[in-house]
Amino acid sequence: MIRNAWKQYGGVIGFVAVALVFLVMIVPRGAKQTSVRSLGVNAEFAFPTKETPHDGEVDSAALVENANQWDGRAITFTGEAIGERMIRGDMAWIHLNDDAYAKKNVEEAGKLEGYNSGHAIWLPADLARQIRLFGDYQHAGDIVKVTGVFYAAAPDHGGDMTIHATSLAIVRPGHPVVHTVNTHRALLAVGLMCLACLLYGMRRIAARRRI
Amino acid sequence: MLLRPQLIDLKIIGLYTGKVIIGVGLLMLLPLAIALCFGEWNAAIDFLVGIGACFVFGLATECLCQTRQDLSWSHGLVVASFSWLVAMALGAVPHWLSGHFGSYLDAMFDVMSGYTTTGMFLLQDLDHVSHGLNMWRHVLTYAGGQGIVVIALTFLFRGTAGAYKIYVGEGKDERLLPNVIQTARAIWLVSLTYLVVGSLALWIVGMWLGQGPVRGLLHAIWIFMAGWSTGGFAPQSYNTFYYHSLLYEIICIIIFIIGSCNFALHWTVWTGDRSEIRKNIEVISFSITLTIAMLITTVGLAQLNVYPDAIALFRKMFYQVASGHTTTGYGTIYSRTFVRQWGSLAMLGVTLAMAIGASACSTAGGFKGIRMGLTFKALWEDVRRMVSPESARIVVKWHHITTRTLESSTVRAAMLVVLSYVGIYSLGTIVGVYYGFEPVSALFDAVSAGSNTGLSCGVVSPTMAAPMKIVYLFEMWAGRLEFMSLFALGAYMLSFLKGR
Repeated sequence: MIRNAWKQYGGVIGFVAVALVFLVMIVPRGAKQTSVRSLGVNAEFAFPTKETPHDGEVDSAALVENANQWDGRAITFTGEAIGERMIRGDMAWIHLNDDAYAKKNVEEAGKLEGYNSGHAIWLPADLARQIRLFGDYQHAGDIVKVTGVFYAAAPDHGGDMTIHATSLAIVRPGHPVVHTVNTHRALLAVGLMCLACLLYGMRRIAARRRI
Repeated sequence: MLLRPQLIDLKIIGLYTGKVIIGVGLLMLLPLAIALCFGEWNAAIDFLVGIGACFVFGLATECLCQTRQDLSWSHGLVVASFSWLVAMALGAVPHWLSGHFGSYLDAMFDVMSGYTTTGMFLLQDLDHVSHGLNMWRHVLTYAGGQGIVVIALTFLFRGTAGAYKIYVGEGKDERLLPNVIQTARAIWLVSLTYLVVGSLALWIVGMWLGQGPVRGLLHAIWIFMAGWSTGGFAPQSYNTFYYHSLLYEIICIIIFIIGSCNFALHWTVWTGDRSEIRKNIEVISFSITLTIAMLITTVGLAQLNVYPDAIALFRKMFYQVASGHTTTGYGTIYSRTFVRQWGSLAMLGVTLAMAIGASACSTAGGFKGIRMGLTFKALWEDVRRMVSPESARIVVKWHHITTRTLESSTVRAAMLVVLSYVGIYSLGTIVGVYYGFEPVSALFDAVSAGSNTGLSCGVVSPTMAAPMKIVYLFEMWAGRLEFMSLFALGAYMLSFLKGR
């Protein structure tokens, strides 16, 4: 009977045992310390020193590469507002991209310069409402400057890497992107469709002959 | 002795490849409709060019390769692997025309990543792409998850006995129903039902989180498509980190865990046998290996004390590990965070999860739970044999839909595929290290590509060397088709050169 019970519920028992080990192992450590510096500095990217000014401008790559070093510091961050604002009560989430496309995106014939990069910002909803345009296919978003505290793993946001902003300024308003219809490509599409219709007709004739 | 393929063989392969490519062209009608709805005229033209190219290729091959002869096993395997390559080349047309890719190779990389439900991408400036292109990226991964051959089987093939052979060539071998075309339709029935339910849940939560109704709906459909198919694409460059919501994350986890289950398991539960979940070898194997991967990752994160409390640690760890283990590739952290905060031990935990993967005959990649289960059962059988009297007869049973006795041939087949996966993981790692990446990072991305996961720690990027892109592309293709079709295609090409 014991053997059968083990066969049926052994997995669950094992899972619960391991989960308990997790909790015993994690909780005391998590409660004592709030951050660690063991992975060191990536010197290729900016990191804070004694001379680094309070509220100094930092880019997204430096924040990710040296997250532990910047953790808890007041910083200024500038980027293009993309996507949308997501209002959560009195607060809101926005996303600012400080990549090459903030100046000129691919839809405006900007150069290809790698992936997007930016940061998530948690700020009062009133500040988020000041943003007029968010970047997408049809728009270049407002360029926005925020000042706030950077968190490598924000405790009140389930460990998300965020900037908790307290001030916001629009540096450059966004604008709609004008797409001119590519007529050459449209002609190519029409040509291919005509050819496809012709082939479809030929295939039907061939199929009828086989019958 | 190798036999040189005859004209009739080429005709059969051409005919069925053409049908699959017409299926790809038909799929493009969906993003075309979205582009037209949102007034994205240039994107719509790009899709018309893509549709035209697929139809011309498909119809031309059908005209040239008219035959009534049915498929043999080798034809089925070759059609599966070859049609995936052609579908990649032609499916990349709208990608390339969008102007968001550095080269046609990059565009093909993304399409292969979509079909194989990997989720890695080389697309640049994702946050400014059209809704049409985003729809195409997600349709690719949704269709790829069910299998592009399954689509063709569902809609374009009329009761051919050989259809099962292409179906198997695409890495699936479960017959839910007696007829393979009915099986393909059953797979679509399950997937479309979940699509409606899952998208609705995500849409409601998205609007509650502050998204507009239209953007919320599009994001819900796309996130469901990529989550269900364990693809990992997302409409924003922040991936699922964009939503900053525990509830959204929980729904995603439910979607990708259900999506990573074997279609046969889905069907058995769907048709009333719920006890299968408790008995199935893949479910048991998945639970055990997920726990082990979680344990390793947790130790790594706790050692570096990355997160301020146990709840934050568990939330981040569980999401990334479950995403890796189901080979989905959704993330709620930045790629480089793996290297810069998580450290090597936690990365190895996630790597292990990705390498093992989820269930066979699902949308997931990796070794698969069934093979891990069979391997350990075989090991256990040998251990029992060693400690038992010589006259003892050791019988080991395993359960997947039905209870079976473990045979040497089954174990051999499972081990062969596991070894092939180890081979492609090693190849990708060696190439990554050759190009100057840290071994742990190179291993992470190589395993991610080979197991069709899509998580990245920053190795994969548009600026990586072209040979690396080709190796990762090959890994995705080989990993998704589970090697047999590739071996068949290789043998076919060899028989052209050396056959008699």
